[in-house]
Amino acid sequence: MLRICRLLAVLLLAAPAAGLCAAPGPAASMVRISTTSQQPDYEVPWNPGNVGGGVGAGFVIEGNRIMTNAHVVSNATFITVVKEGDPTPWEARVLYVAHDCDLALLGVYDESFFKGTKPLEFGGIPALESTVSAYGYPIGGDRLSVTRGIVSRIDFLPYSHSEVDSHLAIQIDAAINPGNSGGPVMQDGKVVGVAFQGYSGAVAQNVGYMIPTPVIRRFLEDVKDGSYDRYMDLAATYYPLVNPAAREALGLDGEQEAGVLVGSVFDGGAADGKLQSGDVILSVDGHKVFADGKIDLDDERIEMSEIFERKFKGDEVKLDIIRNGEKQQVTLVLNRPWPFSIQARSYDTRPRFVLVGGLLFQPLNRDFIDTQKNVDTRLRYFFDYYTTDHIYREHPEVVVLSDVLTDQVNTYVTPFKGGIVNRINGKPIRNLQDVASAFEEPGEFHVIELLGEGRPIVLDRSTLKDASARIKDRYGVSSDQNL
Amino acid sequence: MITRSFILIALFCLLSAPARTEAMEVLRQYLPGEEAATPAPTPEPEQTPEPVAEPGPTPEPEPPASQQPPVVRVNVTSQAFNFSQPWRKGTPAIRQGLGVVLVDGRILVTAELVANHTYVELEKPETALKAPARVEVVDYDANLALLAAPAADFLQSIPGAKLDESAEVGDRIEIMQLEPNGTPVSTTAVITTIEVGPYPVDENAFLVFKLSVPLQSRENSFTVPAFRDGKLVGLLMRYDPRSQTADVVPAPVITHFLQAAAKTPYAGFPRAGLTFSDTRDPQLRRFAKLSNGTGGAYVTKVLRGSPADEAGIKAGDVLLSVDGRPIDQDGNYEDPRFGKISLAHYVSTALQAGQTIPVVVWRDGAEVTLDATLAPRDRTRMISQPYVFDTAPDFIVAGGIVFSELSRQFLREWGPRWPGEAPLRLVYLDRFQNELPPDRGKIVFISGVLSTPNTVGYQDLSYEIVEEVNGKPIRSLRDLADAIDNPDGKFLRIKLAEDPGVVVLDVEKSKAEEDRIQREYGLPYLRRLGGED
Repeated sequence: MLRICRLLAVLLLAAPAAGLCAAPGPAASMVRISTTSQQPDYEVPWNPGNVGGGVGAGFVIEGNRIMTNAHVVSNATFITVVKEGDPTPWEARVLYVAHDCDLALLGVYDESFFKGTKPLEFGGIPALESTVSAYGYPIGGDRLSVTRGIVSRIDFLPYSHSEVDSHLAIQIDAAINPGNSGGPVMQDGKVVGVAFQGYSGAVAQNVGYMIPTPVIRRFLEDVKDGSYDRYMDLAATYYPLVNPAAREALGLDGEQEAGVLVGSVFDGGAADGKLQSGDVILSVDGHKVFADGKIDLDDERIEMSEIFERKFKGDEVKLDIIRNGEKQQVTLVLNRPWPFSIQARSYDTRPRFVLVGGLLFQPLNRDFIDTQKNVDTRLRYFFDYYTTDHIYREHPEVVVLSDVLTDQVNTYVTPFKGGIVNRINGKPIRNLQDVASAFEEPGEFHVIELLGEGRPIVLDRSTLKDASARIKDRYGVSSDQNL
Repeated sequence: MITRSFILIALFCLLSAPARTEAMEVLRQYLPGEEAATPAPTPEPEQTPEPVAEPGPTPEPEPPASQQPPVVRVNVTSQAFNFSQPWRKGTPAIRQGLGVVLVDGRILVTAELVANHTYVELEKPETALKAPARVEVVDYDANLALLAAPAADFLQSIPGAKLDESAEVGDRIEIMQLEPNGTPVSTTAVITTIEVGPYPVDENAFLVFKLSVPLQSRENSFTVPAFRDGKLVGLLMRYDPRSQTADVVPAPVITHFLQAAAKTPYAGFPRAGLTFSDTRDPQLRRFAKLSNGTGGAYVTKVLRGSPADEAGIKAGDVLLSVDGRPIDQDGNYEDPRFGKISLAHYVSTALQAGQTIPVVVWRDGAEVTLDATLAPRDRTRMISQPYVFDTAPDFIVAGGIVFSELSRQFLREWGPRWPGEAPLRLVYLDRFQNELPPDRGKIVFISGVLSTPNTVGYQDLSYEIVEEVNGKPIRSLRDLADAIDNPDGKFLRIKLAEDPGVVVLDVEKSKAEEDRIQREYGLPYLRRLGGED
């Protein structure tokens, strides 16, 4: 209670100051970003895709770089930047993009662009209820817009750009609208966040989110070596351990309030071979893990995963655990597990596919499944439970017979659309490359077996060569495959 | 006429007496997406003797022509079980329909009408006299049930109906309904399609007559019979008022049911235990070394332990003939009356369980003849029952955690769109249960949590599948009961197939809370196995 009172006192002093010195600073650092982008077409994967455009905000930081959101420049084919008060558009390029935390760094081909700009500096985590100002180019006009609000909440929240990542985020009540994305949120002349997402007015009012500086600093640190390695993950699930019987049975009698239960461990991740389902994690890098999965870090009680969040590829984490009643210490080397990636939205890549005799094969992933109108039980299960039920073990990639471009060679195959490919020509299909390779096998027929109880699909090789050319011509297919 | 039916009755008894059959059912014998062919109307006049329904030993003379139709009102009070809270029964509901009085005095209705019945009552149309009735035989697969008449004289004034199996596509039949005052009203319907189609319990496909008929709602239900010249052609099981079409359980299915019901224990409908696909695709035919022009149905799956499996039929075989009937490219045979119709009808309805029939398959470019002995489906082998009626769902409450066994009936608690709305993993396991390992056993899962001090931290558990308890594999609720009753230790360590991986209960403390759970949550008992608490 005392602490809150003191915070309020600081706030009252700080607020006018922030207002006074913020205005001239950001204007000289603000960049309006216009992009032309091409959305990949997962329904017709050889299609170049729809061309669109958008406007976002960015700001100059040290090293002649422009910081913005990843979603502002995703799938971009052409990017121009305009300084506040300068009519010339300058062509820019993406230096680094981090889709998992929705941040990107741009460079400008002609570095004289940066003459007269002022790199902004980063601050810390603003206090709850303290005032912040958001800068950007939202709808309502072309020139720089400034809105002001307070910090409403600091929490671990989903980042909607990738749809699977959650990081620290700060909720503010300043109006944030489309076009604010990538713009700085300032306090005391320093950047305390990058505006990135909000709710539409139909869902909630005055709820905007910004990416806080720990996430931004981590991104800047990660790209120092010239590439972005993404966020690291434990690749294991853990659960609160508050049930008295469970605590006693798992040997937590002597542990005050500590310990979380390891649920699943995913193959190829940092915890693979180091942790087991049923282990209890007592501490992470010396920080006691409370029974609800939180730790004390920098005077805040926050999620234990913040430890992994702040680390980089190859970093170690030391865990104290209890396994079968015995205390042990394990050291994990952090990496990025792959099984989760099919559930994430992907950007800046072209859809992968193989087309043989009008039969279109595509890997199952979020971009693909979003284009499907009727997803049957099996496909839905394979997508939703891909990691949790360890489907990746047998199907590192789930290959779907996604469409049939009708022709006389495949007119009986249409009902099999949407099936998951199990084997082709007797070879188990574990990824899209396997599909391409299996069709290279010699033989009179190609035999495609889907999962489930259906009959095999048979393609007569002798008729296939003509058919493939005919189908490509008829349906305007530019390429047989993209692996 | 009189002599003829006399002979037929005698014939019938001779034929059916030796055949011993057991409870059985028919497996879904067509693939999803595979259309059952509409048979061409067969103009061929029927030469075979007409079968009759009554298995009674004493032939009766043809009753005098009467104005009374052979129907009676059937009022059913039913109470479904609540599978989400298995100690509860749902709200009682009343269903009404028309039953057909058969020659032997029993009453034929659809099984749907009497599902989960608590009280069944007959009501005479003209006098509104009522009397309780008893369900004698019920077959939910074929959607048919037989009721025993309350007393010998109750239905005296109502004549019994015979069956007419000769209806064909294009024929006109009469749908019988009653006015509130008991006056019969009949509406003419046309048989538009005869095919093998799904019955209400979706695991099964039998012969279906589809009718085009404009019907008014008169009985609070469309569970009404269809007649032609006073003989029963079928029972309506579905009516769509928008398209004015109705689905009928036809006389051939009813006949099979009555034949099976004449014996104890009730024998249902046999099944082969395989699924097949068409062989229309010329590339598939070349691959299977089948010449064009001939038939054959491609076997896609043979159920373990089924008659097809016992006979040695394998997936990849092509069925060429069954019991001497050639099978065409769509899996149809040529029925003397209905024309091309799915093999599923022949096996389930034309044949009887216990019969051994030759099956000719095409395997590796040669014909192989196998003998299949038909049998009903062994329901106990099924991992997830497609339906559960009249039986209370099993459950165990331990320390406040409710455990259930997976059945499709449980999933139906999510309403008509359950496949999209029930927990996906359970829907998947139910739908593809035939792909699970043979020793999988039943699927036991956590269906709910009644909060007690023992369940602190467990409130969010929902639908996790139980693998082991204290190291013992759990393949049924009985396994779970044994493991709970013999804990050998202070704790029950319940290993789950998914997150959070393990749940622990303190044996003594859980026992101590039992009374409180029963009292606070109003549970009559904490365990029910085999339908008994």
